[in-house]
Amino acid sequence: MSINWVSFSILLFLFAVVALVGFAATRWRRTEDMLHLNEWGLGGRGFGTFVTWFLLGGDVYTAYTFIAVPALVFGTGSAGFFTLSYTIMVYPIAFIFLPRLWSIARVHGYVTPADFVRGRYGSRGLALAVAFTGILAVMPYIALQLVGIQAVLTVMGIGGSSSNGFVKDLPLIIAFLVLAGYTFVSGLRAPALIAFIKDTLIYVMIIVAIIYIPARVGGWHHIFGVANTHLTSTNPKTGKPNGSLILEPVGYWAFATTALGSALALFMYPHNITGTFAARRRNVIRRNVAALPAYSVVLGLIALLGYVALATPGVAGQVKAHDANAQLALPFMFRDMFPSWFAGIAFSAVVIGALVPAAIMSIAAANLFCRNIWKEYFRPNASNAEQTRVAQTASLLVKLGALMFVLFVNTTYAIQLQLLGGIWIVQTFPAIVAGLYTRWFNRWALVIGWAVAMVWGTIEAYQLPSPGKPGTHFGASSDTLPLIGHTVYIGLTGLVMNLIIAVLLTLLFNALKVPGGIDETQPHQFVADPEPDAPPPIPVIAGVGHETGAADSG
Amino acid sequence: MAHSGPTPRRTGAWVLITVLVLISILGTLIVPIYARSSPYIGAFPFFYWYQLLWVPFVAVLMAICYLVSTHGSRSTASGPAAHDGSGEAR
Repeated sequence: MSINWVSFSILLFLFAVVALVGFAATRWRRTEDMLHLNEWGLGGRGFGTFVTWFLLGGDVYTAYTFIAVPALVFGTGSAGFFTLSYTIMVYPIAFIFLPRLWSIARVHGYVTPADFVRGRYGSRGLALAVAFTGILAVMPYIALQLVGIQAVLTVMGIGGSSSNGFVKDLPLIIAFLVLAGYTFVSGLRAPALIAFIKDTLIYVMIIVAIIYIPARVGGWHHIFGVANTHLTSTNPKTGKPNGSLILEPVGYWAFATTALGSALALFMYPHNITGTFAARRRNVIRRNVAALPAYSVVLGLIALLGYVALATPGVAGQVKAHDANAQLALPFMFRDMFPSWFAGIAFSAVVIGALVPAAIMSIAAANLFCRNIWKEYFRPNASNAEQTRVAQTASLLVKLGALMFVLFVNTTYAIQLQLLGGIWIVQTFPAIVAGLYTRWFNRWALVIGWAVAMVWGTIEAYQLPSPGKPGTHFGASSDTLPLIGHTVYIGLTGLVMNLIIAVLLTLLFNALKVPGGIDETQPHQFVADPEPDAPPPIPVIAGVGHETGAADSG
Repeated sequence: MAHSGPTPRRTGAWVLITVLVLISILGTLIVPIYARSSPYIGAFPFFYWYQLLWVPFVAVLMAICYLVSTHGSRSTASGPAAHDGSGEAR
C-alpha cells in the first residue's frame, strides 16, 4: 500500500498545530499557582458552559464514536445502534445526579470521585476501591483510542504494512509521545483547548460525509438494500447470519441492557467526572445536559456511515483482506470516496478525536492515583507541587497500561474494550450515586458488593470468546442470564448483584451495629452553588475530615 | 442552618422533571416500541428514524427540565437559605 502524500501532509500539519496548541495551552487562563492539582488536573475549575460543552463533548465522543461504532454497525447491523440509545439515555440520567456531585465536590474541593466517597463514608477502603476501579477502567478505554488511531494509520499505509514490528508501530508511538508530552506539561488545559479544533474537524467531516458519500454510492435505498443483503447472508465462521437490519426479538435484552449499562457507567468514568468538576457553576452542568445531545446526532449519523461503508464498492473486500478488521471500514471508505485533501482532514479528525479524550482520561486516572492512593497511603503530607508531579508521572504510566490492553486484548470489535471498562466502572455506581442521596448503605457492605461484582464480571468477560473465534477472551460483554433466560450485559448483571449484596449486608451490619464512617458532608452542600471566586472551605473541612478519617477508618 | 422543607411549588417542579426524565429514558430503553421497519421515512426504516428523532426530542425535554429547575431555585433564592452563602437550599 502506498502512502497518499496529500492526505499525509494534511494529517501531519494538523497534528503539528494540535501539538503546538497543546503545549501552549499551559499559558491559557494562567494563574500564579500552576503547580496546584486544581490547576493541572481541573484547569482551575473555571470552565463556563461553552468550554465545558467542548470539553465534555471531547470526553464522551471519542474513537468509540468514530471508529468502534461504525465498525460494529458495518459488521452486525442494528445491534450496533444500542450506542445511539445509550447516548440518548445518558443525559437524562446525568441531569438527576450530576449537579449534586458537582456541588458537593465544589464545596469540599474534591478533585476525584474517590475524594467524595472518602468524605461521605469516612472510608479509605471504599475510596481505594473507587480509585482502583477508575484507573483500571480507563485503560481499555484509552486502548480503544489507540486502536482508532492505528486503524487510520493502517489505511493511510503509514507503518502498518511493514513487517518490522517496531517500524509498524512507530507512528503510533510518536503520536503517543506527543500526547504524553503536552498532557504532562499543560494538564487539562491542553485537551480543553484542542477540543475546539477536534470538534470543528469532526462536525465538518460528518456533515460532508453524510451528504456527499451516500449520493455517490447510489442513495439511501441502495445503501439499506445492500446492508440488508449483507446482514442476512450467513457468516461462514459462525454459521449464523451476520446480523439484521431491524433488531430481532432475540437481541432486545442485550441491546437494552448494554445501552442502559453504558449510560449508567458513563459519568462514573473519572475523565467525565473530571470534565464535570472543571465547570465553573452548577448550572453549567444542567445547561450542558440539554446541549450535549447535539453530539448524539453525530453519533447516530456516524453509525449510519457503517452501512454506507458496506455499500461502497471495494470497502468490504479491503476489510476482508486486512484480517477482517471492521475498524478499517470507515477509514477505507474515506480514502476511496473523498478527494485526498479531504480524506486527510477526515483522518486528522479521527486521530485528534482520539488523542483529546486519551489525554483527559490519563489526567483523570492520574488524579485518582495521586490523591487517593499516593497521598492517602504513602505521602499524606505531600505538597501541592509534589502532588502535581506525581500526577504527571502517573499519567504516563496509565498510558503504558493502555498499551498493554492494545497488545494483549485482541477482539474482533474494538467496542469490546469500552464495554469491558464499563463492566468495571459501573460497579462504583452504588457508592457514588446512592451516596449523593443517602448514607443508609454501610461502607463495608458497599466494598463487598463492589468486590464480588468486579471479580465475577471480570471472570465472566474473560470466558467469552469473539464470535466465531473459540479460545479467545474478552470477545463479548453480554451473556445468558440463567434465571431470566435472556442475554444481558454483564456490567448490568454485576450492578444488580452488587446492589443486592450491598443492601443485604447493610441490613446485617446495621443489626450487628457495625459502625459507619464519619460523614463530613451536610445536606445543603449537595445543592450548593458557591461563587466561583469564593474561597473554598477546603482547609477547615478537609482538615477535620483527615483527622477523623485517620482515627476512624481501617 | 436553614432546613425548610420543599415548597409545594418546588415539589411540583421536581415531579415534572422526574416525569420528563423517565420519558426520555424509557423512549429508547423499551426496544419493542421501535424495533420494526415500517413506517418508512424515505429509505429509512422506523427503527432508524425513530432513534434519530428521539435525540433532539430528548434535548428539548432536558432544556425544559433545566428551565423548570432554575425557575424553582430562583423562587427560593429570596428565602432564608440565600443568606448562608451556599446558594440554593432545600
